[in-house]
Amino acid sequence: MSAARSPAPGPEAGLPPRLAAWLLRRSLPPDERGETVLGDLVEEWLSRGGTRAASRRFWRQTVSVAVRYRWRRRRQHEPATAGERNARMSFDNLRQDVRYAVRSYSKAPSFTLTILVTLALGIGASTAIFSMVNGILLRPLPLPDPDTLVYANEVNASGRERTISIAWPNYLDWRVRARSFSGLALTREEPLTMTGVDRAQRLRARRVTGNFFTVLGVSPAIGRGFVDDDDKPNAPAVALLSAGFWQSQMAGDPAAIGSVLKLDGTAYTIVGVLPAGFEYLRPYDVFVPMGTISGTANLTDRGNHNGFSALGRLKPGVTLAAADAELRGISAALEREYPNSNAAVSARTDRLADRVVDSVRLTLMALFGAVGFLLLIACVNVANLLIARGAGRQHELAVRAALGGGRARLATQLLVESTLVSGCGGALGLAVAAGLLRLLVAMAPEGTPRLAGVRLDGAALLFAFGAAAVCGIVFGALPAFQASSAGGQHALVRGRAAGFAARSHRLRRVLIAIETALALILLTGAGLMMRTLQELTQVDTGIRTDHLLTARFVLAGEQWTQARRVTFYDDLLARTAAVPGVGRAALAFSLPIDGSNWNSIFIVADKPVPERAKLPSAAFTPVSIGYFETMGMRLLRGRLFDRTETPDSAKVVVVNETLAKKLWPGEEAVGKRLKQGWPETPDHPTKPGGYFSPWREVVGVVADVKFNGVSNETPLQVYLPLVHDNPRSVALVVRSATAPSAIVPALEGIVRDLDKDLPLFQVRTMEQMLDASIARERMSMLIFVVFALVALALASVGLYGVVAHGVTERTHEIGVRMALGADSHHVLGLVVRQGLSMALVGTAIGVAGAFGLSRWIEALLFGVTATDPATFAAVVTTLLAVATIACYIPAWRATRVDPTTALRVE
Amino acid sequence: MPPAYLGEFEQLLLLAVLRLGTEAYAIDIARELDSRAGRSVSRGALYTSLDRLEDKGLVRWTAAAGGAARCGLPRRLYTVTPAGLAALRASRDTLRRMWRGVEHLLKEPSSS
Repeated sequence: MSAARSPAPGPEAGLPPRLAAWLLRRSLPPDERGETVLGDLVEEWLSRGGTRAASRRFWRQTVSVAVRYRWRRRRQHEPATAGERNARMSFDNLRQDVRYAVRSYSKAPSFTLTILVTLALGIGASTAIFSMVNGILLRPLPLPDPDTLVYANEVNASGRERTISIAWPNYLDWRVRARSFSGLALTREEPLTMTGVDRAQRLRARRVTGNFFTVLGVSPAIGRGFVDDDDKPNAPAVALLSAGFWQSQMAGDPAAIGSVLKLDGTAYTIVGVLPAGFEYLRPYDVFVPMGTISGTANLTDRGNHNGFSALGRLKPGVTLAAADAELRGISAALEREYPNSNAAVSARTDRLADRVVDSVRLTLMALFGAVGFLLLIACVNVANLLIARGAGRQHELAVRAALGGGRARLATQLLVESTLVSGCGGALGLAVAAGLLRLLVAMAPEGTPRLAGVRLDGAALLFAFGAAAVCGIVFGALPAFQASSAGGQHALVRGRAAGFAARSHRLRRVLIAIETALALILLTGAGLMMRTLQELTQVDTGIRTDHLLTARFVLAGEQWTQARRVTFYDDLLARTAAVPGVGRAALAFSLPIDGSNWNSIFIVADKPVPERAKLPSAAFTPVSIGYFETMGMRLLRGRLFDRTETPDSAKVVVVNETLAKKLWPGEEAVGKRLKQGWPETPDHPTKPGGYFSPWREVVGVVADVKFNGVSNETPLQVYLPLVHDNPRSVALVVRSATAPSAIVPALEGIVRDLDKDLPLFQVRTMEQMLDASIARERMSMLIFVVFALVALALASVGLYGVVAHGVTERTHEIGVRMALGADSHHVLGLVVRQGLSMALVGTAIGVAGAFGLSRWIEALLFGVTATDPATFAAVVTTLLAVATIACYIPAWRATRVDPTTALRVE
Repeated sequence: MPPAYLGEFEQLLLLAVLRLGTEAYAIDIARELDSRAGRSVSRGALYTSLDRLEDKGLVRWTAAAGGAARCGLPRRLYTVTPAGLAALRASRDTLRRMWRGVEHLLKEPSSS
């Protein structure tokens, strides 16, 4: 039988992995000896049926044979080429260098530990923040072709552009007229209550137009998606589920498709399940099309902006700017066509990715900047330590140079040392980053976007080791260059070494000044953040925030007629008031801090009506009797709502101080009249079911409360009696005598008793609400402060090191001075002065730098300017105080120098 | 010339070749090592060790034509040379000498 070069394919089995066979051939001797090895492997592969496992084994064996044969051949048969010899020599050198470095580091454990901890902190913190930035800001959205997805909204263009959401008829016109988009969808968040299950549940839901998923480029994993027909009035109600909801609620049962989900009283047929992991802005449980609400008067009114935003897919080649300009143009045309409803209504288009992270971009970038400074400080500190070490090893290096160690060889040795230490620092840094990142994600304020995608990934790994490499090479090269340029034999002579020592000392002083400057910049940032948080927590909210529990419920569906809603409100309040521990209870449509759910323009009776674009707008808030008392708000003039308010009583309102001052400056607001809506909105019913808005008399003025977080200005506010305007979505507020959390079960019980299909949601105390509203500021402050403290510690340790080193070097000089009669005060002053001069130079640079840089975080500040003199003064004082201590300790040691001992050294 | 010194693995290899008689080739040798000595060995280690024994003159091989089971590629059939046998004997004697008088310290080998 002939020894075929290539194994013939077996009848069924095919061929062993081709690449492996090729590799094997290349490694084996090209004679019969090689053929036999190949034969053995092929035989085994065939006898194992040529399966995948057999192929894997074939690969394994191939690699083992290839490695062994190559190694053996190199050792025995073939003499090494010149190139190989060189490579082997430099490899041996490298190994020697590494071994030498390990030995010399382990001989100075405290020095090594300082460097490693510094690097681990710097690299760890920056890698953790980088992972946040990467996961939230940099990584593309997990949607097809995310760069061409845009987010559009309508804005009120009078004054500062204010997002007002898109009116449905305007969207329909956009869709017909806009040429920039291959698809334009409309969507809004619309939480729905699921009933018909054991326990009614509030679902995270989103209403979308039929083309929404087509525009996104996402198709359901099973079932069908939405189509345009699903948006038509009277279209069958259908719903798409998220994969998570389908798994958790329906155990991933495919039979769920076609079954019915009762949402807000309407039966929706489930038509499909979305792919796992799909998110739009945030995770949702269920999506429903426009069908169930289209055609309603509320939706078709061009003046109603019902919380919708648009999602567009740019046509190829169309820029964001072009799309933005086109929508603005269309809005201008609509304003001309419908001057009544569209006055001052324009449009604004952003990239979807930008919109998603809009709320956190600034904070994250500020933190990233801060951590960059921290990393820089760590690097400078490491360089400083390495230089100090280099100076100490001057003699050793000189000996090595004299014995024939080339300059390049010595520099390499030092580079290897710094690379080794920074590599270890990088690895430690990764461990620190992993822990820190877990902490950051756990601490992140509620609603931080894309948090699920934040993890320590390849990019973070690259970042950490990149940072380590830069640290090692740049900051290790500095001392390496210094040391190698010192020149061999000069340093052997002790006296000549002084020149080098002086030079390295000068460099270290410069580095310390830089470090101090960087630390000061970070401290300033931290100081400004602390002031911001302090201001935020001291804001007068206008309400008593302690012992105040809030919760929301929604009376959705046809069955909740106006009369039933009013009865329900009364029953709920009566039963709640009877719960032990409850002081007062009330209802409101919107809550302070939480923001307004109903903004509307209005006119007043006794003033000329301004042009449409300039009509005043207020937050309209229906509240129950007892609301102001429950919240602890102050009545300034007139009266509050009381039992005289009945469904048929005269229409009255209470306004806030801001509104009274703005509309009737210097006049008595009580007794004036206002009307919500457009000037032409009828004030009495003109047709059955038609919208009208009566004139209402101002009966009271209350003090302002913070309505939109604590940092936003209080809007104009109009409070209406709940008996006159009875919304379906209502918040319950309860002032308790005991801990608010203790009465939650009782409240839930009452609501379930009244209606078993009514879940209470967003149950939280007003204090929790306040905390949540400043959570982001609190977290940035915390991170800034931690970074700044680490920076301060690093800088002062560096300063201490340099001063202490200086003292050691000058022991002789100090001894002479003291022998000649200098007292300890003189010596103390001398050393501290020299140390502080570095800190002062650094402080000066730092103040200038902070002055320039703090503008970048101006948008994150509240109640304090970016150049707040008090903060700057406090920061400078702190830094100099710490620097003084860092200098004082070695200076004090210098005064302990015994002149005779010091002189005997020579 | 004194018999060559044998490492433990070399001893095992030589014994395996001896046990297999005239039909000893790599796959059978590996199987023998695995089943009898409980040593699972990579192909790379096996071939290079056999080559080393060959270099020392302790084994030699002849090529035999392979059948369809290995696509006609040849096999290496190993035999132990007289020098190999001498080395094995020397190893065994060394071990015996070392064992003498210490068996009671290690008790029954089968009890473990």
